[in-house]
Amino acid sequence: MHNSKIPSSVLKSVQKPGRYIGGEYNSVIKDKNKVKCRFAFAFPDTYEIGMSNLGVRILYDTINAHKNIWCERVYAPWTDMQEKMRQYEIPLTAQESGDPLSAFDMVAFSLQYELCYTTALAMIKMAGFPLLSKDRGEDTPIIVGGGPCVYNPEPIADFFDLINIGEGEEVLLEICDLYIKMKEEGSYSRAAFLREASHIEGVYIPSLYDVTYNDDGTIKEYKPLYEDVPTKIRKRIVADMDKAPYPEKLVMPYIETVHDRIVLEVYRGCIRGCRFCQAGMVYRPIREKSPETLCKQAKCLFDNTGYDEISLISLSISDYSELPKLTDDLLSWTDEAHVSLSLPSLRIDSFSEELMQKVSSVRTGGITFAPEAGTQRLRDVINKNVTEEDLMRSVGIAFRGGKSNIKLYFMNGLPTETLDDIKGIAELATKVVGEYFKLPKPERPKGIGVTISVSCFVPKPFTPFQWEKQDSYELLMEKQAYLRDCITDRRVRYTYHEAKVSFIEAVLARGDRRLAPAILYAVENGAIFDAWDEYFDYDRWISAFEACGIDPAFYTTRGFGLDEILPWDIIDIGVTKAFLRRERDKAYKGETTPSCAEKCSGCGANKLGGKNRWCK
Amino acid sequence: MVQVDANSKIALRIKFKKTGKLQYISHLDLVRTMHKIIIRAKLPIWYTEGFNPKPKMVFAAPLSIGTESFSEFMDVRLTERIDTAEAMRALNANMTDEMQVTEAYYPETKFTEMRWLSYTMLIKTDNADKSLAEACDNVLNSEKIEVLKNTKSGEALVDIKPLIRSASAVLDGENIRISAVLSSDPSTFLNPEYVIKALREKVGIISNPDCTKEGYSIIRENSFFEDMSAFK
Ligand code: SF4
Repeated sequence: MHNSKIPSSVLKSVQKPGRYIGGEYNSVIKDKNKVKCRFAFAFPDTYEIGMSNLGVRILYDTINAHKNIWCERVYAPWTDMQEKMRQYEIPLTAQESGDPLSAFDMVAFSLQYELCYTTALAMIKMAGFPLLSKDRGEDTPIIVGGGPCVYNPEPIADFFDLINIGEGEEVLLEICDLYIKMKEEGSYSRAAFLREASHIEGVYIPSLYDVTYNDDGTIKEYKPLYEDVPTKIRKRIVADMDKAPYPEKLVMPYIETVHDRIVLEVYRGCIRGCRFCQAGMVYRPIREKSPETLCKQAKCLFDNTGYDEISLISLSISDYSELPKLTDDLLSWTDEAHVSLSLPSLRIDSFSEELMQKVSSVRTGGITFAPEAGTQRLRDVINKNVTEEDLMRSVGIAFRGGKSNIKLYFMNGLPTETLDDIKGIAELATKVVGEYFKLPKPERPKGIGVTISVSCFVPKPFTPFQWEKQDSYELLMEKQAYLRDCITDRRVRYTYHEAKVSFIEAVLARGDRRLAPAILYAVENGAIFDAWDEYFDYDRWISAFEACGIDPAFYTTRGFGLDEILPWDIIDIGVTKAFLRRERDKAYKGETTPSCAEKCSGCGANKLGGKNRWCK
Repeated sequence: MVQVDANSKIALRIKFKKTGKLQYISHLDLVRTMHKIIIRAKLPIWYTEGFNPKPKMVFAAPLSIGTESFSEFMDVRLTERIDTAEAMRALNANMTDEMQVTEAYYPETKFTEMRWLSYTMLIKTDNADKSLAEACDNVLNSEKIEVLKNTKSGEALVDIKPLIRSASAVLDGENIRISAVLSSDPSTFLNPEYVIKALREKVGIISNPDCTKEGYSIIRENSFFEDMSAFK
């Protein structure tokens, strides 16, 4: 009766065995003899994290709606389980059928952060497949990569047979349909399929390109091997979010996961244009769902899951043009049903007393704001259009509403940053404390505390800062130390991100195909779960670069020339390089750009189509 | 003055099974899972008053990870009396096959009146034969059965015999089958794992370090009052 092929004595000997058993309510079971394509959706992190991912939840449902395809889930076993799997030769299996990955036609990885690359490759290894695409035979499933990381697919190009650029709802089905068709016609071979798939918009087949380099190490040319293979791969989008598939039910985990609640995606894209933010560029154009669609989806999900919390998500929820209507419509039944609403991403300039009352996560949780930079000058450079007044007004409301703990997010190492900007972070925090003391004593909530949390800037592909250099590790350490010295108020707590992690993240985000041997080296030497502090091993990465003759500085502190061919130039995200360049120039002049709601800036994403309010 | 909701006294009791893979779900996770099930089943749930209203669910005798059960009990407070057959149907439609309600009724007893639980344990061990089964049976029926047990004051040698109402061991094919009735009283609750532990220490069952070769399964079969009539 167990789907799980893991012996019970093994399950009894590992932490949280509930991660490995499958059998969750709402999981989809099909007859494997009746489907024509078995599709494994792999998430290169733990069950608890993977189960919380909205993209996977959407695609699991979308693919399973197709009667000829059975989509199952696969997660990375935790290290204690990996040890048992090695000891007892247990292969990596899918949650639903308990079958090993070799039983599948396709294995697709959702790549959400660069630091999961090694985990994905370790999973391919656990499945018993060759790591390099070129070594795979006809028996190996097609290994697919997708998700936000693959907008620069080059560092992992050698490991994936097929890469899905952009939103997967439609294109994954097209890929499966092609596979089924070629199998039925008898025209299928790995090579023939990949060649044919390269004609589908949003599909990138890395093995069909030859890359050459200049003497100085920069890229000379991307050349398709055949004439019918596209020279540039345009990302796919879902045109109409009201018609886009959205799950009516969710697989219900037995064990607690990271986001164990209903997640309602309100819109895609972002009207802001923060110049460091990759998501803000790659998800353009903005496509909203109507409040009617959202309410219908929320009610349906509530009925089918029993969750008592609904989280409204998008890149900047308060920019949703019908937020008041949406929250009112939801509140008309959620209160009575004992369902609470939460909003994870609030902008400083939109924080209001009303929101605090309506939204329970704001009512009960901590309050976090992200000014990102310590001075108005630098905030203008990064186009974070919030002012000190906005922040003071918002924290004032929060304090009056009984909040005493405020968390502020900042970034170190932004382009043009000076010591004054860093000092500005400490000063801003002190002013927030001052705002608390402006309240008459009886109105002050108890125990004021302001936490500043500082991460390190990583110049991401497809942002106006894509050409920028990353600060060296030494410089970032100096900046972190300087900021610590600037903080004099004992009510201000300071936490910062490990600069070494950001450095490796930058290499993996900005690299090209020549990184593959180093990633391979890291995996062969045990790298996995790099996103987990306890498993991240900087020295292993440095030895990997050394062993493979790679200078990581080439991708980080060097910066990229404005005329250089960038590793990700093969991809077309809609937003043009010319727009990014214009934004970069404005950044250096300290000029801001209005949001799409105020004025279209002609970023180029409108050419992708899509039903939306703002694009001209 | 706080108004006492007269209806809040209505508790619906369900008896359910938790079998197969669900033996790996902890008690805490079971509580969270059940919470969602009763919402999906649209039972008229009574919520606690106050800042953070929650349904009121009470479970009898905890089950440890690795034990299957055909005899779990939960009381949930409702705002009104509903048809029990209908409640059972609604709950079962919202559960997987491995967790199903077998009875639903309005109880007249308290969980504290439950005194005994019966278990079946199947032991797969390399040296299983008739004489080993007899040796096990002898241990289970000796005057004293001392095992190292975690107590409030640390590990101590404890005699578990008084917590065992009856126990026997027989050879069942290639396995040794133990049937035991153990205390379910909260203050003297005996986890069946201790019975296995005693046999391990005293008769030397399950000694192969390869945990895929040997092992055991435990099933909770039934719940009883002091006089061994079925708990309801
Ligand atoms: S085309 Fe204009 S409105 Fe549309 S995303 Fe680009 S800048 Fe914004």
